[in-house]
Amino acid sequence: MSETPPQNYHHQKPPFYRDAVVVKWLFQLGALALVVFSLWFLASQARDNLAARDISTGFDFLSVDPGINLSEGIDTRPATGGRALWVGMVNTIRLATAGILAATILGLVVGLARLSNNWVVNKLGSVFVETLRNIPLLVQIILYGAILANLGDLSYDSGWDNWVIWSNKGLSIPRVFIADGFYQWAIFMLIGSIVARWAYKSRQRQHDETGRDTYPWLGSLGVLGVFAVIGWFIHPIFGWVGGIFGAVEDGISKIPEEALQAVISIIAILLAGNWIRNFLRSRRTPGGSAQLTDDDKFRVIFSGISAGLVIVVVYVVWPGLSSWIINSSSDLFGVLEDKFGNGRSGGPFGADRPEVIKPGKFEKYGPSGLTMSIGFAAVFFGVVFYTAAFIAEIVRGGILAVPKGQIEAANSLGMKRSAALRTVILPQALRVMMPPLGNQYLNLTKNTSLAIAVGFSDLVQVGQTVGNQTGKNLSVFAIWMLFYLACSLTISVVVNFFNVRLRIVER
Amino acid sequence: MSEETAHKTRSDMIVCENVDKWFGDFQALKGVTATIAEQEVVVVLGPSGSGKSTWIRCINRLEAHQKGTIVVDGVELTNDLRNIEKIRSEVGMVFQQFNLFPHLTVLDNVTLAPKWVRKMPKTEAENKAKDLLEMVGIPEQAAKYPGQLSGGQQQRVAIARALAMEPRIMLFDEPTSALDPEMIKEVLDVMRDLALGGMTMMVVTHEMGFAKEVADRVIFMESGEIVEEGTPEHFFTNPTEDRTKLFLSQIL
Repeated sequence: MSETPPQNYHHQKPPFYRDAVVVKWLFQLGALALVVFSLWFLASQARDNLAARDISTGFDFLSVDPGINLSEGIDTRPATGGRALWVGMVNTIRLATAGILAATILGLVVGLARLSNNWVVNKLGSVFVETLRNIPLLVQIILYGAILANLGDLSYDSGWDNWVIWSNKGLSIPRVFIADGFYQWAIFMLIGSIVARWAYKSRQRQHDETGRDTYPWLGSLGVLGVFAVIGWFIHPIFGWVGGIFGAVEDGISKIPEEALQAVISIIAILLAGNWIRNFLRSRRTPGGSAQLTDDDKFRVIFSGISAGLVIVVVYVVWPGLSSWIINSSSDLFGVLEDKFGNGRSGGPFGADRPEVIKPGKFEKYGPSGLTMSIGFAAVFFGVVFYTAAFIAEIVRGGILAVPKGQIEAANSLGMKRSAALRTVILPQALRVMMPPLGNQYLNLTKNTSLAIAVGFSDLVQVGQTVGNQTGKNLSVFAIWMLFYLACSLTISVVVNFFNVRLRIVER
Repeated sequence: MSEETAHKTRSDMIVCENVDKWFGDFQALKGVTATIAEQEVVVVLGPSGSGKSTWIRCINRLEAHQKGTIVVDGVELTNDLRNIEKIRSEVGMVFQQFNLFPHLTVLDNVTLAPKWVRKMPKTEAENKAKDLLEMVGIPEQAAKYPGQLSGGQQQRVAIARALAMEPRIMLFDEPTSALDPEMIKEVLDVMRDLALGGMTMMVVTHEMGFAKEVADRVIFMESGEIVEEGTPEHFFTNPTEDRTKLFLSQIL
């Protein structure tokens, strides 16, 4: 029998500076204090300096007329500062969306060209990549702007018979717009897409049962096309839908404010309670009660606090919230009643051809067409070519990253090149390509801010003008940062979604 | 002797005549001539770099030979893509590194080629795949991904995947060389069953036990040439060539 250890062996308490738990908490508190102090310091410095230099902050300018004209956008003479910035944001979003689409397609083509066995195609791809990714983007944008400025002057006969007009003032094409009948037609398309989905599934099933090629995509697109054409002519039969929205509008406007406040509070409490219950259940060990780490405890407390916060907001901080929700949603249904209402017999879409007008001494494009200025084109080509060069390398790298054995295995099974590419190579290459591709999309979106170099009215250019007019440069800075942050986070979410879907399962 | 006359009545599945293959300046195959009959099991032995893998990779055109003729089941291998596809769909291959498709489940790995090449209905392909997985002894793994299986299980899936195309010939390129010792047997058992079932097989391996027990004929290669061939009894007990004797003394 061995000697038993001293009774108090497990109870020797170390001094606090050697106690792992205490030390951990001390470090956490220290880090937190440092962050709070830094923020307080920066904020107080900024406040004092701004006051000393008489620089004003605040967001009042968003509802004041900035007195500026914009060169292009959904509104060239915005009535408020907020409206002006919104026009800039729409221009930036348009540029970034079109740029991402074009750069992806061009990058894919060039990347595949660099993998081609055809010597000419291969070398063309190499030259494209090596040239365009090594010239600074700003230089390229200014260069394209200078080249495009050499197009001819605008006159009544530049272009093709008022369908497409181009000149050194830009390119104007027919503008397609949503007409009166669109919303009723959209109901048709909704039903059409349900039927198309059914058609897709049934064709897929047919393929599974017989092994024949049934082209499910073509089938469902055909169904959708038939619905689109029929709906174009008979969509007024859905005129009664407007009445339903009208009834909903009346119903919502009768809801008492107190009832909504109570419902929101109860929902918050129920959600938090349900979440905590499920969380505790998931942490339950086979032995019985839940083992909670500090992190877990924090989560439980935090979810309780969030429910409390919701109640405080609803009743104390913003008592008008519930009436605002009631009013705005009933307004929304009022608009829908109007849009879907009877008597909308026009087509779903219309198109206006571009036109040339001469208000003063010089010709300019009229408002009817969809016009892209030289500035837009210069930035567009700049970001597309520049980003496409990088995307081409990502595509090449992604495909080369698929092990050679995978292609050999597909070959040895007698699969054709196209089938092997689609079922074996691309799914694995995309997995490698997705994260760097997301980076390029983020870069492209942020690089559109170089539009200021050629005077395209993107958010940065508009913001700078507004800031100069109103003196609220700091506020404009805040809006810029929030906008680009929102864009980047949106892109990240989309890319991560695909990342998760393409993940390969391992043990 | 009766065994040999039996072979002659069967049709020739693979005929190679004076096959040459270069990688740049290096000649990997030097005038390889051999004929493999229907239902014959041939084991190819030789030191590494002797050209045995190159040879069987030429038979389904994963490598292109530069001189000589290769005829597989009456179809000559040329640059004609239609011939190549026809031969590949009749010749199954199992690789040293398995080469399973990691993004597809085991079931999808096995059904992919029948669906895309043979245009087989999905349900039929899946039923067939389940039968094959049963045959190689892992029916319960159908829904898993290759990364979740052991090496031996992965190689058995690879065999099932090749068999799903109903090949008339199976090529094995060092099928057990990447496996842990305790997993080699499970793969060799499947191959033995396949040989007993009458499959025409060409196997590059270092498993002498398998060669002795299962092979109808052993071919010994060195430096891109066939040095000696014969029945396993002859090859392992009474080799004639000095180079064969040296090789056997090194490995046995």
